Amino acid sequence: MRRRQFTQLIAGLSAAAGLPAVAGVGNPSWAQQFKSALADRPWLLGYRTVQQPRFAADAEVSGSWPKDLTGTFYRNGPAQHEIGDYRYRHWFAGDGMLQAYRVGADGVNHQAALIETYKVQAERRAGRALYPGFASTPPDPAPVTSPDAVNVANISVLHHHGKLLALWEAGSPWEMDPEDLSTRGAYAFSPEMRGVPFSAHPRIEPDGTLWNFGYLSSAKLLVLWHVDKNGKLVKAGKVKADPISMVHDFVVTRRHLVLMVPPLHYSPDGAASSFLDAHKWRPDDPTRLLVVDKNNFDNHFWVELPSQWVFHYGNGWEDDNGVIHFDAARAGDPMAMIDSFREVMRGNLTPSGGSHHHEYRIDTRTRKVAEAPMFGMNLETEFPSVDPRVSGQRNRRLTMMSSNTLTPPVHGHLNEVSHFDYDSGARAVYRYPDTEIPEEHIYVADPSRAAETDGWVIGTAFDWKTDQTLLNVFDARALADGPLATARLPYGLPLGLHGRFVHG
Amino acid sequence: MPLKTLLTTGAAVYACLMTQLISAETLTVVITNVSESKGTIMLQVLAGEAEFKGDATPIASVMQRASEGEMSFTTTSLPAGEYAVRIMHDLNANGDLDANFVGMPTEPWAFSNNAAGNFGPPKWEDVKFQLEGSVTQSLNLNR
Repeated sequence: MRRRQFTQLIAGLSAAAGLPAVAGVGNPSWAQQFKSALADRPWLLGYRTVQQPRFAADAEVSGSWPKDLTGTFYRNGPAQHEIGDYRYRHWFAGDGMLQAYRVGADGVNHQAALIETYKVQAERRAGRALYPGFASTPPDPAPVTSPDAVNVANISVLHHHGKLLALWEAGSPWEMDPEDLSTRGAYAFSPEMRGVPFSAHPRIEPDGTLWNFGYLSSAKLLVLWHVDKNGKLVKAGKVKADPISMVHDFVVTRRHLVLMVPPLHYSPDGAASSFLDAHKWRPDDPTRLLVVDKNNFDNHFWVELPSQWVFHYGNGWEDDNGVIHFDAARAGDPMAMIDSFREVMRGNLTPSGGSHHHEYRIDTRTRKVAEAPMFGMNLETEFPSVDPRVSGQRNRRLTMMSSNTLTPPVHGHLNEVSHFDYDSGARAVYRYPDTEIPEEHIYVADPSRAAETDGWVIGTAFDWKTDQTLLNVFDARALADGPLATARLPYGLPLGLHGRFVHG
Repeated sequence: MPLKTLLTTGAAVYACLMTQLISAETLTVVITNVSESKGTIMLQVLAGEAEFKGDATPIASVMQRASEGEMSFTTTSLPAGEYAVRIMHDLNANGDLDANFVGMPTEPWAFSNNAAGNFGPPKWEDVKFQLEGSVTQSLNLNR
């Protein structure tokens, strides 16, 4: 054992875990506050905890399900929000539950399973909350010995080289059985990459090539991943980012990767009670954008924009003049994450400035960057996506969730699905009834037909009046007409995050 | 420490541990959860912060073939005082604690008091313990 190296390795590990040693004081009243608020705001049912590790049922289908739309719609999201009487204090802290909607000629069958992470297993054995979560620390916490010790695998799902992987953003992918959704365990693309952060937003090119990133806050490192269609690691890279922030998504073009590092600086001062609270918002500091050469991760440069916060990008592409184009749901600050998604867990509705869609250009020759809003300021957007067949190439359509701030829904969430046509400038929109909270909707291609238009838009919604989760399918050419078909589950599930459709 | 040096030192110290020198002090280290009978368990006893930081050679080191389940080490050769213990399970017996691409250990490790830092390595204050009379450290390997 090389002693110095050993010490350094432990230092590296702890930095990667990025969680403070200071324990917060348990406040069991969060569960009680949430319960009380439910009476006034029944839509809060979308944030209750699941009480069982498994769900399975056939959905009741109404309307006409497209006969060519067959496959599995996998979804992930935080679902276990309480352990005993300890309620997590952030939406993002919940233990992940993976869902599979299997759609075909026989109808729609649904399965869901709590992801058996190390954390879920250890806390079940202990009979109590053990580990620091995203925004709070339970009483008498256990030490965090690796990022994967607190990995909740709750953000998104990836189906690649035959593997089904539930993704968090600060640790390993969690491998799941695609058929019965049982948990296989932490997944490594290679021995050297075991435990290295792999974000929840990998981007897959039409030929199956996968690009991703990860971040290690205390080490102030961004990690870059290049994986081939067979799941073999082609290369990995490290780029120092000081100051560093949370980075949720990124952009991939023909030649470059673009990562945005907003001024939500990771600056633990010893008094922070959680990972989230170890971050400070510095609105006077710039947002830094890292532009990386896909062929050589060491070849990169930084450009700056005014302070802003982005969770998600729709797509990125690059023109013949070396200009990178991309779009994003851009917020002025991260208060939705810092405040709203925390307070909702005890039943408080605390509006924060929403995100508006912007288009960005980075000229890789002059290193100039510019941004401009795409829609009016009364249109809030999130969860942008495109036809997977144009990922990294110029897209003509954009699917996203939206909301008109002049006619807000009673539940305060985004309440529309939009399909935008870059050619005509028209945006088709379907507004959900106020009794339903829609979740992410995505474009699903008809593999045999034209990209971006001749497909469907599918997505789930939580009907808080009936306490049921629904899966809707729309014709992408006639989104405003409403769903072609609705598959209604006999139960409601907590509001989740991202999904992916696998044909077959 | 290169493997060969450690082997030599380890053997010497192990012999020393087995000698059962007459002493009032007994240190027992129990490792509760060796995951598999593969590779070696490497244990260091550290007398002071300099040894903990790697600025001085540990007062005692021992290496033994790993055996699944519980393993126990005892010494009566240390004088009373302040110590710490550091353990690794060298699964592939390459003499190093293997690390991933970003420097996080990929082989099991433990410190005395089961200390594990959250915002950096555990501190000397967290790992140190007083050896006086008979002391048992029951440690769980992390990975």
